[in-house]
Amino acid sequence: MSEAAENRGLRILVVDDEDIVRESLTEWLRDDGHQVSAAPSARDALRLVAEQEFDVALVDIKMPRTDGLELQARLKEKAPNLSVIIMTAYASVESAVRALKGGAYDYVVKPFDPDELSHLLRRTQEHRSLRTENMRLKQSLEASGEAREFIGVSTAAERVRERIDTVASTECTVLVQGESGTGKELVAQAVHRRSSRRYNPLVVVHCGALAEGVLESELFGHEKGAFTGARYHHKGKFEQADGGTVFLDEIGDISPQVQVELLRVLEEKAVVRVGGRQTIPVDFRIIAATNQDLEACVRAGTFREDLFWRINVVSIWIPPIRERIPDIPVLANHFLERFCRNMSKKPKTIGADAMEALLACPWPGNVRQLKNAIESAVVLGKDNVIGVGDLPDWVVATADRVRPRTLADIESSHVRRILDEVGGNVTEAARILGVDRGTLYNKIKKFGIPRSADDS
Amino acid sequence: MALGESSEALLRALMRELSVRLPVPCGHHEGASIAEPPRVPGRDQLDADKLLQQVEGVPRADDALLVCLCAEDIGNRIFSYFFGRARLDGSAVLVSLARLDPRFYGLPPEEAILVDRAIKEIRHEMGHSAGLQHCLDPDCLMHFSPDVEALDLRGAEYCADCGSVVSRLFAPAL
Ligand SMILES: [Zn+2]
Ligand SMILES: [Zn+2]
Repeated sequence: MSEAAENRGLRILVVDDEDIVRESLTEWLRDDGHQVSAAPSARDALRLVAEQEFDVALVDIKMPRTDGLELQARLKEKAPNLSVIIMTAYASVESAVRALKGGAYDYVVKPFDPDELSHLLRRTQEHRSLRTENMRLKQSLEASGEAREFIGVSTAAERVRERIDTVASTECTVLVQGESGTGKELVAQAVHRRSSRRYNPLVVVHCGALAEGVLESELFGHEKGAFTGARYHHKGKFEQADGGTVFLDEIGDISPQVQVELLRVLEEKAVVRVGGRQTIPVDFRIIAATNQDLEACVRAGTFREDLFWRINVVSIWIPPIRERIPDIPVLANHFLERFCRNMSKKPKTIGADAMEALLACPWPGNVRQLKNAIESAVVLGKDNVIGVGDLPDWVVATADRVRPRTLADIESSHVRRILDEVGGNVTEAARILGVDRGTLYNKIKKFGIPRSADDS
Repeated sequence: MALGESSEALLRALMRELSVRLPVPCGHHEGASIAEPPRVPGRDQLDADKLLQQVEGVPRADDALLVCLCAEDIGNRIFSYFFGRARLDGSAVLVSLARLDPRFYGLPPEEAILVDRAIKEIRHEMGHSAGLQHCLDPDCLMHFSPDVEALDLRGAEYCADCGSVVSRLFAPAL
């Protein structure tokens, strides 16, 4: 975020019955570049919120004749987008935690450090603009119809989609398994998007990428001063996902220590921030993914069995791409179209020789690798038809080495070549191949051969 | 004026620096003092708001801006500390040396750092007393610094806009 955007300031409402608190805060917040109004009572606060729009309300939890929690609920009712920050004294941190459960954005303990407040407001601002951005993105995705789905015509792909549909409506923990690059995150997104949690965040944690200590505070959050460098308290991913879904990628990589913590969080549906003592209730659904054989990890003693059973309530297995050859042309064409559009290039097609190489390549890096190969072909290719020469060298090299030799492989590429020669004319192709049109249609479907527009 | 124990040498160094950097005459208001500075109940701190109010009431020449340096930490009921305080268009500036001192952070004493931070903070608060709010320019003295690291990173001069307001007020003759 740019300095200027960061400093544009928030519209803040301060609610506190003590004059000195209101005055001091108002002055300080104005100095910090925000627009500030103040209310001495719940009634005044509700009136102000009805009259004008605010981004943030700083609410004292303990005011005479007013329950801060109730005020928070009524403020949210009147202004659902308002971020409520609760101000509390040490004695009532517990009620602040209740406030978090009631939808408050965060809380601060009086007296607070100026830098802490400044930091908290900056985070609130970032959070708010992220939320706006997400909403905008979602709308534009829905408008362009490009809700990303799990693509493929193979029975394997069909089975994955069915599985997504079945589990989405449940609250079950899902374990997505598959080699790297098979699209596990895509499956998690699809499950989240079809679930009742779709209007709440999907928070992604790449467990393998983070060192143990970092992972712990990423997941569970930490209190200020929990460790050297923890200058501000920080909400963990579980808290950030409240009401939504947490996607734990590469769950097989987490350490035994974090496994224990994670198990506790899953069982209790509550987190304790690192360095904290308060139990914070959180509402989340877990989708975990791994490219390891978790059962083998359990047998080897590197993954806890109890955690495994907690996670593996429903599992979705994504086969590697070499086991679903019919999906290769569909995926290749999908990426081709997307990259041409993104790079504002004229639509291209994939030539028969190139397609043959794509079909023959074993794709150890799976869909991600296929996507990269198509991207580079779109960048490098000069013609409207992508030839084998436009593909990365290693695709061609490995394709040559492991050229398909089953009867079905040869049949598939032959059908493809003939169709290509006759410009996709099924009647003509059927005549050359010596089969009837019905048989050829079945083969086209079976091998997942994309049908060109002039097929009549 | 100075409140609490500060070394003579430190005060002299600050006066020298201020005289160089300010376009107006600058002197030490030796006689001024506050007998029992107000404290924040329950904390080992002076109450910044009440203290600033008292400093503003200290008699002096009509148009003089009074800078009060205090050795003790300052805060109020809501904020656990401040580096300095001034009212917009006020007639006094309050700066606490406590958290500007490297020793506060467990580091060895270093007067040059302390003087540098104090000068920045005094001039920042003078900006407020001249009616300036915080400035978006990260290099400007009037940029907001939530902690000492930010204070150290902040530039040592006002940006053109802020500078013109300050010099208009403090040196109408220039
Ligand atoms: Zn300031
Ligand atoms: Zn400036």
